[in-house]
Amino acid sequence: MSSPAIKSSWWMPDIPKSTVLRRRMLWAYAFVAAPIVALLVFLAGPILFSGWVSLHRWDMLSPVGDMPWRGLQNYVFLLTRDSIFIKALGNTFLFAIGGVGANTVLGLGFALLLNSRIRGRTVWRVLYFMPVITAPLALAVMFAFIFDRNYGVVNSVITAMGLPRQPFLSGPNQALMTLVFIAIYQYVGYYIVIFLAGLQGIPQDYYDAAQVDGAGNWQEFRFITLPLLRPVMLFVVVTNTIGALQVFDLVFATTGGAPANSSMTVVLHMYNTAFKFSRMGRASAMAFILFAIIMLITVMQVRLLRDRTYQD
Amino acid sequence: MSFIRSIFVLLSLALVLTFGAATLAQDTTLTMLTHWGTEDQLAAQQTIIDAYMESNPGVSIELVTVDFGELRTKIITGRTAGISADVYHFYHLWLPDFVNSGVLDQPPDDALAYINENVAQGTIDAVSTSDGQTWGYPTEVNPYLLVYNKRLLAEAGYDAPPGNWDELKEIAAAITQVDDTGAISQVGLGVMPGWDSGIVHPFSALLFSNGGNYLSADRTVAEFNSPQGIETLQLYADLVANGGTDPSINGLGNFPSGTVGMVIMAPWWRATLRAAEGVDFETEVGVAEIPVGPSGDAPSSIAYTWLFAVDSSSPNKEAAWDFIHWMNAEHDEGAGSAIGDFLVNALGAIPSFDHDQAAFAESMSDHYVSAFVAASAYARPEQIVAGGQEIKTLLQVEIEAVLAGMTTPEDALAAVEQQANAILEEQRMMAEE
Repeated sequence: MSSPAIKSSWWMPDIPKSTVLRRRMLWAYAFVAAPIVALLVFLAGPILFSGWVSLHRWDMLSPVGDMPWRGLQNYVFLLTRDSIFIKALGNTFLFAIGGVGANTVLGLGFALLLNSRIRGRTVWRVLYFMPVITAPLALAVMFAFIFDRNYGVVNSVITAMGLPRQPFLSGPNQALMTLVFIAIYQYVGYYIVIFLAGLQGIPQDYYDAAQVDGAGNWQEFRFITLPLLRPVMLFVVVTNTIGALQVFDLVFATTGGAPANSSMTVVLHMYNTAFKFSRMGRASAMAFILFAIIMLITVMQVRLLRDRTYQD
Repeated sequence: MSFIRSIFVLLSLALVLTFGAATLAQDTTLTMLTHWGTEDQLAAQQTIIDAYMESNPGVSIELVTVDFGELRTKIITGRTAGISADVYHFYHLWLPDFVNSGVLDQPPDDALAYINENVAQGTIDAVSTSDGQTWGYPTEVNPYLLVYNKRLLAEAGYDAPPGNWDELKEIAAAITQVDDTGAISQVGLGVMPGWDSGIVHPFSALLFSNGGNYLSADRTVAEFNSPQGIETLQLYADLVANGGTDPSINGLGNFPSGTVGMVIMAPWWRATLRAAEGVDFETEVGVAEIPVGPSGDAPSSIAYTWLFAVDSSSPNKEAAWDFIHWMNAEHDEGAGSAIGDFLVNALGAIPSFDHDQAAFAESMSDHYVSAFVAASAYARPEQIVAGGQEIKTLLQVEIEAVLAGMTTPEDALAAVEQQANAILEEQRMMAEE
């Protein structure tokens, strides 16, 4: 049943004449309004406030109205004079490249294995997924012991093999890569599950047809599995990159950025700047620079992977 | 109907009387934020609070404790969220920042008079801003000294602690033990990476014993990048090179387990050392003056303090100052204060007030604390300045970079000096705005 409608204004949709329909529409607006208001108050509001703060010097203790205006000084300082920020940015990129690359390759590799007919498949899936549900801080503490230079089990194994002892988390050249390893251990299980779901969504008919045409395992993987997994790959790469660029808890709990900022990341530096040094303006500027970088990388990744998906 | 109405009236009356009486009986609630959070420390603080509440039935006190590493963050975020504590116990280096931001209430005149009458001037200066305003009751005074393991020194062939840096390097290297696989089972001098005070305070103590300065006397420029400062940082590099120290063995955690020969540390460590299983406090723990550097002529040290102060936004400032005064005042002559008792007997720290130093002199006469009491007479107070925490953290990172072999002492100190002076300049401009 349709009812005639009244056009009230340019921003309002057609208002039905029927009282029942009108009431329903009002309820619909009321329900939609609640999350919109929440979104504005708890997301858009803080983002806008943070942007405003990034143009000021604010110690979080003085009244907001008394913040001295700094314009773009915080941004200029970070990009030209804050050597720790530049170092942290480099470290964060290395962490993201290492973590995303390894998680994608290993996640796909293990997913292919778990998708095949290996024995104890369910047990393997559970084992791989367990680190994902373990508290990150607990993992960090555990790995601090495992990788200890003097008493760690990894060094015991290495030296038993006749190799030299390694500093790992206490070494300036190894701390960051050790953190990448821990992050891979922690999150690869999650990406295995995502890839596994993608693999199980590929119809078996394609493989059957390929086999009839004489395709081998590699050709099946190259021309069927990989192209059809591109949407999944896009999800894995984008979400993993965003998460890796925002890494905090793992670094905070294991090295704290040490030794001498060799494992400092952007978000940890942001935290220190805001809460240790009371420079909320500079920390907010860091957040916006990181946001811009993440946005840029995400758009690039989406375009690269999405376009090729459509072509395929 | 009238029966039901009567019941309703009676119940209402009972409710009003109950809550009214409760409100009258406890019309003031104070929150005290400290970093003393171990089980023993919590119990000792609660005893003090209970005693105060018993003699002041109108006041209720809630104790909140956080780890030292989170204390400043807790104060800042609490203020921002509008849930700040009434009474803070905090590290005096943060004082200028808090004062500039209007966090603190000025103590009442009678409190200032009591502090001036009962605390040494150097300690009062440590809790005052450059304009001479004192902002709270100073608590512990913490000079740094060389704490050493007599047994490990003796096993290495030494019966006395080092008196100068050459001896320090020699003894530290002799104590260190490395097995065939390269694992360090014992280290000569323990450093404390990852903890700003654990790195910068020992460095400052060595710097002062080498005739150097941290900041200028007027606190406007950094002075650690001097020949004396470079020599001090070179000492760290030399100790790493000769095996006398290694940043992978943390002195704070490993000295109590008996695997570290020497640590430059503060007196409040006594409780930990008494409970330590790897070293016998009475017979094996020794305390010595800071070894003198090649450019120094006498041992020196650094001393820091903490203070009790009141939040400027507290609705109960008067009650808060009364509580702080009650904790720090000597109620019976010769008995000392409640906080003095806590500092000496629960922490092993040196109290600021003269009456506490007198009342607990016997408790401070053991071989450990007595050495720190003697050092407090000559230790130089940590220079407090707005932005001081940031400068300290920058210096910590560069000292750790030298320990890790990532930079030279010259480059490290030059880098921090530049940043420190920029921070000091910025703070001056802020003050003028």
